[in-house]
Amino acid sequence: MRQRLHVTLRDAEGALQRLLGTAERRGFRVCAMHAEAGGDACEVALTLEGARDAALLVRQIQRLHEVRAVKWTPG
Amino acid sequence: MADTGAPETIVRSGAQWLVAALEAEGVDTLFGYPGGAIMPVYDALVDSRLRHILVRHEQGAALAADGYARAGGRIGVCLATSGPGATNLLTGIANAYMDSVPMLAITGQVASPLMGTDAFQEVDIFGMSLPVVKHSFIVRRAEDVAATVREACAIARGGRPGPVLIDLPKDVQLARAAAAAARAPGGGPAAQDPRPDAAALAAAVTLLARSERPLLYVGGGVGIARAEPALRALVAATGIPVVCTLKGLGAIEPDAPEFLGMLGMHGSPAANHAVQSCDLLLVAGARFDDRATGKLDSFAPGARVIHIDTDAAEIGKLRGADVALGGTLGIALEALAAQVRRPAGAIADWRAHCAALRTLYANRYDAPGQDIYAPALLHELSRAAGPGAIVACDVGQHQMWVAQHWRIAACDRHLTSGGLGAMGYGLPAALGAQLARPDAKVFCVSGDGSIMMNIQELATARRYGIPVKIVLLDNGCLGMVRQWQELFFEQRYSEIDLSDNPGFVALAEAFGIEAFGIGRREEVPAAIARLLAADGPILCHVRIDPRANVWPLVPPGKSNGEMMDAAA
Ligand SMILES: Cc1ncc(C[n+]2csc(CCOP(=O)(O)OP(=O)(O)O)c2C)c(N)n1
Repeated sequence: MRQRLHVTLRDAEGALQRLLGTAERRGFRVCAMHAEAGGDACEVALTLEGARDAALLVRQIQRLHEVRAVKWTPG
Repeated sequence: MADTGAPETIVRSGAQWLVAALEAEGVDTLFGYPGGAIMPVYDALVDSRLRHILVRHEQGAALAADGYARAGGRIGVCLATSGPGATNLLTGIANAYMDSVPMLAITGQVASPLMGTDAFQEVDIFGMSLPVVKHSFIVRRAEDVAATVREACAIARGGRPGPVLIDLPKDVQLARAAAAAARAPGGGPAAQDPRPDAAALAAAVTLLARSERPLLYVGGGVGIARAEPALRALVAATGIPVVCTLKGLGAIEPDAPEFLGMLGMHGSPAANHAVQSCDLLLVAGARFDDRATGKLDSFAPGARVIHIDTDAAEIGKLRGADVALGGTLGIALEALAAQVRRPAGAIADWRAHCAALRTLYANRYDAPGQDIYAPALLHELSRAAGPGAIVACDVGQHQMWVAQHWRIAACDRHLTSGGLGAMGYGLPAALGAQLARPDAKVFCVSGDGSIMMNIQELATARRYGIPVKIVLLDNGCLGMVRQWQELFFEQRYSEIDLSDNPGFVALAEAFGIEAFGIGRREEVPAAIARLLAADGPILCHVRIDPRANVWPLVPPGKSNGEMMDAAA
């Protein structure tokens, strides 16, 4: 199942690595990604593929300290 | 000159800011080991009132900080140099992550211009530790050091606690800066309402009122949240029977009639049978770990689930919840206790069934023979030591015997590497616990495999006169692995023999630690008395039968209803 996530990060050192690592470790493959830093934020659009519960992944991403917002569009 | 009222500008080095910030956070003890990339911090320590405990291996520093945090209810701090010092901390950091222990790990790093050049003793500890920290920082400017320490401590302690790493390049430690700059506010989880959602609470109350066979499944989250009183009040108000995970042990008194023991792989049959037949599982601060659930899809097959957890990402992770109660765990438990109008009499049949299971499967200590029976020794020792004693254990059969047979009166008196299962945890954790709680009797129960993983910390016990009491259960092998090879690998024993162990009594004495050995059952009472009477660190070497196994056992991949026992 493909999932689209839009994540707003505080643009801190390691924030992107932490986000991608979380998705991969929790069982999702990163199929496509676009990230753009501006001001103190970084906007990340991700397309992920995985069989696990994406709502759970969203909660796991929300725990990360640089994450300001997550929008999730299934499918 | 007119007084402007402006505060005097303080100029300090990054290292001095670090030390000052730790003091301001109320830290009084840290565990560490020096080296090139952290030397400015060690220099700043000379002028500070922080107590630095020089361990003999950085893994010991991280695990001692963990024990200090768990037993003391405060943040544990460890410190190491770059490269090998930092990598040696990693196991301890991972341990704190898996068991949600508030920890600050500070590592020196090569100077900023050298970072990324494969410099001497450079490793990317920030990158290496990403999966096992709650959060981490590389501090790039001396003026950010103090604010980073403040933020790191708040993150480590807040919500579901965990380890936070601060990597500090050497030039940042040396640079002088005027004042701590304010940091841009972090992202992170939005501040949670500490109260559970009212509709969810009402739904939980309804489920509880309708349930005929409710059961509380209690995990380490209850102890972490200091919610034992709320849990006990809920049990008192409702009479609901209780099972605990390894880390939940102590949340309820060991003698409480509702307590059925630990559930899971080496759980009590009473607990496992109750779980399999309950119709409602009230999960408090537990996470459906595979060691607790056995085969997940046959775990508590007839139960609806109310899941209470501070960490929303734990709810629904492995088993769906009919009702999710977030917020602060203690507040949710209190709210339930206040609202559930159902006296224990309403579930009298179920309570009687559970009480019968408890009696039927009560632990027995009358094993035949003259060899020392480790479960009986641990049971007797914990009785003699009293409910205030703290026990830190290593990993293996002895760890499970402690869980089954030690009378654990509170969660913070049982320190065990639950999530990571790291051999080597016991001794440094006991040292940290004793330093956090100087008045408590602190025991370390270890095995002959595990003790060797951090044996060097006997030198730390000796140096600081830390009076931990070490009970070394020596079966001459890696007992837990041996047991699995016996039961599940057709007795094809592979690399488990430790019969050439060093003489542990002589070894301890070489470190300057009082030590003695026992091997027969009749020696146990005197050994217990000697351990309890000792003023300083002491080691009791206990020879036990290598063939002794931990029972009962749920075989891997099986349901908790399919326990094996000694007779099998
Ligand atoms: C660091 C580490 N390495 C390996 C293991 C795997 N392991 C689990 S229990 C065990 C045997 C432990 O032996 P010992 O400490 O003597 O305890 P016993 O089981 O004999 O009581 C091993 C090797 C582990 N848990 N941790």
